[in-house]
Amino acid sequence: MSESRFIKYIEGKSIIHNLDPRAKIIFVFSILFSLTISPSLILIIPLLIISFLFYLLAKLPLKKTITTWKFVLIIVVVLSMLNLLTLSILYKHGGNIIFEFSWFVITDEIIQRAIFPVMKLLSLAIVTITLIFTTPPKLYAPALGQMHVPYKPAYIIQLAFRYIPEYILEMRKTLEAQMARGFKPKGGKNPLAKILSIIPLIVPVTISAALSIYDIADAMELRGFGEKKNHTWYRKLDFNRKDIFLIILSIFIVLIYILSYFYFRFLF
Amino acid sequence: MSGKREFLSVTSIVAMGIGTALYAAFNVFFNIFQLPGTQLVALRPSVAIPMFFGFVFGPIVGFVAGFLGNIISDAISWGGFWWNWDVGNGLLGLIPGLTIFLIKKEEMSTSKGLILCSILSIIASIIGMGFAAYTDYIFGYGISTIEEATYALFLPAAITDAVNGAIITPILVAAYSAAVKGRARRA
Repeated sequence: MSESRFIKYIEGKSIIHNLDPRAKIIFVFSILFSLTISPSLILIIPLLIISFLFYLLAKLPLKKTITTWKFVLIIVVVLSMLNLLTLSILYKHGGNIIFEFSWFVITDEIIQRAIFPVMKLLSLAIVTITLIFTTPPKLYAPALGQMHVPYKPAYIIQLAFRYIPEYILEMRKTLEAQMARGFKPKGGKNPLAKILSIIPLIVPVTISAALSIYDIADAMELRGFGEKKNHTWYRKLDFNRKDIFLIILSIFIVLIYILSYFYFRFLF
Repeated sequence: MSGKREFLSVTSIVAMGIGTALYAAFNVFFNIFQLPGTQLVALRPSVAIPMFFGFVFGPIVGFVAGFLGNIISDAISWGGFWWNWDVGNGLLGLIPGLTIFLIKKEEMSTSKGLILCSILSIIASIIGMGFAAYTDYIFGYGISTIEEATYALFLPAAITDAVNGAIITPILVAAYSAAVKGRARRA
């Protein structure tokens, strides 16, 4: 349960690391929007390639990203593909038959319905984990604040990212305190049993966190938070040429996918 | 304090931030418990956290804790983003918060309040997960028949969340009210 593993920022000096977080957020949302409205499998593939290029440009070391990749590949790709296959075999839809064995029928429709959502998930996962891996968590709130999100909502995100590692540490402390009193968590190397040992921590960690809310609020009020209508951010973000290029690219992608959406809708 | 400042007071901003952080921190672990035969539905005892924040700090705090907490935990565990599931998780926190319109604040930690909390958690699971599952069907995100939406998304998600929420949320509320007893300003 090392806390550094969960806020997954990896330091680096690649192009993607140096981009403005605002440009990256706009890019991720443009890919997300295009994925949501894209009507066919052929149109997903360019997005998958773009997001993979975006990942490759970040030059992330495989050693540090391997746990996330395992999760994405095992849970997202393999499990959801199996689930979708079972679902589409259970609820038949028709289509051309490829393989038939008494009641067991596979059609091209079934394969397409199993692959299509997985492609979407994979493409989205690649873009989002690149954003998470290359953006320091302390920059999300200034980025949102300088995108003209009011500063109070932006500060909620700042607080959340500030306290996630704190609570993961708190979980470990609570577990150790319980072990010192004779509680024995099950399972040595079994990862599932390790996670099950977190369930008894929900109540103590939540209560201690909820009790600290008023202290944090008092400390912020004493420093004058919320008194003024305007709020400046310590880190000033500036767009450079690459950021503007990425934003133009995002707008371009969104426009193409909106056009293709209407094209497919009204022609087919 | 005037009525307008109550809406986004410093306390409620901090409560939203802390609730988001807690929900995200626990969900990162529980996202591994994918239920077999469903489409990315995980078994999460942590659903009690937004319900508890909604019940104690009000519906908007509960909504934000569920909504942002789910976005952040999905993004850092496998990079997903589904707005309708995030809104569904927000509803898990919003509906227990409606208790402020039903009973007095002093009654929240009595057995009447705890039973109401349990019932509201079950209603919240049904409405929140129902919203998420059937918007998946309406917009066609991966599934395309109403039976799939019911059996692969709605029933597993709503039943596990209702069981976890109905048991753990009242425990949290009772423990919190016992912990704040005697402290000034905290209730």
